[in-house]
Amino acid sequence: MSAGDPVEDYLDRLLLTLGGSPRQVRHTLAEVEAHLHDAVAEGMAAGLPASEAQAAAVARIGPAHAVTGRVAAFSRPSAALIRRTALAGALVGGVALVAVGVSGAISWLLASVGGGTFLTAPFPPGTYSRADCARWLAADPATRSCVRAMTYDHTGEVIAGSFAAGILGLLVLAAFWSMRRRWQDRGTLTALPAGSAEAVGVALAGLVMMVTVVTGIDAEMVQRGVGAGRPFSLAIAALGAVVFFAIRFRQAIRSRRRALIS
Amino acid sequence: MNSEKLKGNLDMLLLSVLASGPSHGYSIITRLRERSAGAFGLPEGTVYPALHRLEAAGLLDSTWETAAGRRRRMYRLTLTGQEALADQARQWRSFSGSVAMVIGGTA
Repeated sequence: MSAGDPVEDYLDRLLLTLGGSPRQVRHTLAEVEAHLHDAVAEGMAAGLPASEAQAAAVARIGPAHAVTGRVAAFSRPSAALIRRTALAGALVGGVALVAVGVSGAISWLLASVGGGTFLTAPFPPGTYSRADCARWLAADPATRSCVRAMTYDHTGEVIAGSFAAGILGLLVLAAFWSMRRRWQDRGTLTALPAGSAEAVGVALAGLVMMVTVVTGIDAEMVQRGVGAGRPFSLAIAALGAVVFFAIRFRQAIRSRRRALIS
Repeated sequence: MNSEKLKGNLDMLLLSVLASGPSHGYSIITRLRERSAGAFGLPEGTVYPALHRLEAAGLLDSTWETAAGRRRRMYRLTLTGQEALADQARQWRSFSGSVAMVIGGTA
């Protein structure tokens, strides 16, 4: 049986949804495997090519939850599904955090060019105390303006927070690659449809990009650019994440197609 | 045939097929299809939870056998299963006869 064999893929899916004791799982899987092989043999005896006979056998037996007798949504997630979901979450989460880190670098560049207020809007007057002012001025002795010192402080916080997120993202991605190397079994790799994590990544990063672009344009038009730099930084980083996930999605679909043909 | 109607009577149909001798899952489905002239269009996989349920209820018994190099789970009717089948068949004949009388009179 080659990779992409509909019967093998069906048995993988069934294994992920079967509940009960290990013996019950083994027995049901063996029973259904024998059933599918009988159905394929019958199809081939009737003159169907092997691939068509396999597809027909899978279509006739019905969805995996028909065999388990449980509603698919309430099937207990298997260890393989949990592993695959953890991989997908680590990939999407890791890339998202790295994108936040990249946005910090972009923010730093924009603040250098457009000034601190382009990156973060200062608090409105009356919303901060003298003590706050004193703290901000103490951190930036070169300036005498409370607003300027506040902006400097906010900019530093934004950039430092973003870099911290980026470093955390790199650690998450390192964990992803480590888990990916360890969990190479076919059950884990096929527990979610090919490219599903990447599709989620494209959708989420695309959504973030749209929201931040709108926020940035709003700040540019309504606030005359004050605070527009941060959403634009995030939008640029989100665009990078969209491109990254789109490339990986294309690779996953191509790889899946090659497996089906071979 | 409507699959919900069939599901309601699947246990009796499976017991009935097995009344003619021990059989494995695929063969049970094949015999069910042949004896119904293809009228029952349930996904084939749905017989397995039904067979397992009937076995758990003591109406069927199963053993693993190897035939043509393949391990198969062979189901056979127990004494309790035979009694349950006879009871269900009697109820079905009574019910279907009554329904026939009603709809026969309005046709």
